[in-house]
Amino acid sequence: MKQDFFRFPLHVIVHPFDGFWDLKYDGKGKLRVALVILMLVVLSVIMQKQFSGFLVNFNDPRNLNSIMELITIVFPFFLWCVSNWAITTLMEGEGRFREIVMAAGYSLVPIVLMYVPMTIISRFMVQEETAFYYLLTSIAFVWFIGLLYVGTMTVHQYTAVKTVLTMVLTVIVMGIIVFLGALVFSMLQQIYEFVLNVYREIIFRT
Amino acid sequence: MAVKQWMVSVAAALLLTTAMTEPVSAASTPYESYNYNYWEEAVPGPAAYVPSRAINGSGLDIGDFQEPGDMAAAGDGRLYVADTGNNRIVHLDEKWRVKEVIDGFENGGKRDGFNRPTGLFVDDDGFLYIADTDNARIVVLASDGSLHMLIENPASDILPADFKFHPLKVTVDKAKRIYVVARGVYEGIMQFDGNGRFIGYVGTNKVQRDYVEMLWRNFSTEAQKAQMVLFIPTEFSNMDIDAKGFVYATNIDPGSKEPVKRLNPSGEDVLKRFGYFDVSGDIRYRIAEGPSTMIDVKVLGSGMYSVLDATQGRVFTYDDEGNLLYVFGGKGNQLGTFKAPAAIEQIGNDLAVLDRGKGDIVLFEPTKFGSAVNAATALHYNGEDTKAVPLWEEVLRLNANYDIAYIGIGKSMLMEKRNKEAIEYFKLGMDRDHYSVACKRYRREVMKEHFGEFLSALLLLTAVWAVYWLARRRRTVAYGSAEQIAKEGKWR
Repeated sequence: MKQDFFRFPLHVIVHPFDGFWDLKYDGKGKLRVALVILMLVVLSVIMQKQFSGFLVNFNDPRNLNSIMELITIVFPFFLWCVSNWAITTLMEGEGRFREIVMAAGYSLVPIVLMYVPMTIISRFMVQEETAFYYLLTSIAFVWFIGLLYVGTMTVHQYTAVKTVLTMVLTVIVMGIIVFLGALVFSMLQQIYEFVLNVYREIIFRT
Repeated sequence: MAVKQWMVSVAAALLLTTAMTEPVSAASTPYESYNYNYWEEAVPGPAAYVPSRAINGSGLDIGDFQEPGDMAAAGDGRLYVADTGNNRIVHLDEKWRVKEVIDGFENGGKRDGFNRPTGLFVDDDGFLYIADTDNARIVVLASDGSLHMLIENPASDILPADFKFHPLKVTVDKAKRIYVVARGVYEGIMQFDGNGRFIGYVGTNKVQRDYVEMLWRNFSTEAQKAQMVLFIPTEFSNMDIDAKGFVYATNIDPGSKEPVKRLNPSGEDVLKRFGYFDVSGDIRYRIAEGPSTMIDVKVLGSGMYSVLDATQGRVFTYDDEGNLLYVFGGKGNQLGTFKAPAAIEQIGNDLAVLDRGKGDIVLFEPTKFGSAVNAATALHYNGEDTKAVPLWEEVLRLNANYDIAYIGIGKSMLMEKRNKEAIEYFKLGMDRDHYSVACKRYRREVMKEHFGEFLSALLLLTAVWAVYWLARRRRTVAYGSAEQIAKEGKWR
């Protein structure tokens, strides 16, 4: 428990090459830990939007919606995993879907670690100190991207350049999936409309 | 029975007297009053001004006004109206009765008249400045109606030889310098000295770069370029002058974020724009109607100024920091709405709007809400924030959405070192800068108060940790901890 949920994730974020290797080959990563981290990210972002200090909180409280936050984090996360899996399968990546989810999940740890304390500290900040708030939240994000990069590289056993290429392609594939999804959705809607109209015609004719 | 009757009569008397003394409070207006909140939403609010009466030419028995272009109020309540279409100036006394109709003056022994006068100004010494547009001159009359000065054909090195002088609006400062907005002059406001000599221009409107247009121009032929719109600065539409000699000027450039300017003596714009939004009237509007078109400005004193919008027929009043205080007026045919507003003036506490379309002048009286806002803003402007607090509280009773009132109370509390309460008020008023100041002071206050406790707790914690560490170390040295041995064994 302690090893899985605390030691290992904290080890991964400071020793990413070592950590992601252990995650893949020593079986130290756990899928449920990755999912718990994802939920914690959702929670910390909701907390940040709701409770961060007045000076850094530019959200209209009337428009905050936890369900929307959940969707806007969880959906892109799995979209990333699916796209990454799709692209790496074609590009001789060694990672399995499980491992991709784990790598992405463990990469999110810095966000949780930074956002929660910063949300609390921001409540006591004055204008001049808000720069630190933005600095540290930006660091968290850059750290996350770095970990994601190393994670992808290690999980698929790629070279540095190929990892960058894969990540860019993954983002493009994410766009394609969203586009196709929207297309299918709108087509289904039109088919539904069509069937409904045919039904109505028949009803009115008889 | 007698007692009851007596009580009723007393109550009635009370009702009457209170109704007489209190300013108009809950009259219905033909327009909707609103103000913008921090989130750029137009929030309905109580009316600040209500129309009390309107007056037109036939009501004064002098025949209808024909497209009146401007009016000017003297300090004592007298009003001059430039009846442009009838080529005359109408002089009303403080009770709005016709005092005289000026349709000409003696010029070198001959009777001379006006030709479409569109601008007017009356200075503190009673001199009347008339922009006699189609006669291409400015006429200055003394208070007895005699000709004081004529400004014609200004000559200067910076004016072209074939310069046509068509003055539209005129304003005069304390030093008798004359500021003129003229037709077809894009260089700025023309400035004349007290003897009517042209000095130069002040306050040019800047042309904004349009990068798409620039790109487009690169691919166009000379013939196409000649057909394109010429990008020239917009003309000013009107001006007014404040007690310190700063010129407030409006322009009608539709894309401008700064349709109102406050020009210092060297012609720079020094208007404070510290409010949530630009000082540009409506920030939300329908595309078909377009943004506000500022056609007149009136300095109200205490840093406040009202601007008149021709698009929606609204009057926007701002304080010296650029906060929108209130909005009133609208387009329509009822009393208090306009067809084509042309000019705004202040008469005592009231505001008068000249409607060129309807040919009448409408007088607006401040409501309880409007007067409270005005008074509180004036006190704040003069640095008497503490005295303004009860007024702001009154404003909040009438309109709990009035952010400026929260900020006003907050500022007063900040000065009285009631930092914790100030924090709450600034938060309600969404004023982050002052919130930060209050927060800083409160934080320091709390830290000072609890520094001892904090330090003792820290000392205690350090001591506990030191004891723990020492104990642990001794044990490790003596026996070696099982954990450590296991760990080292594993790694070696």
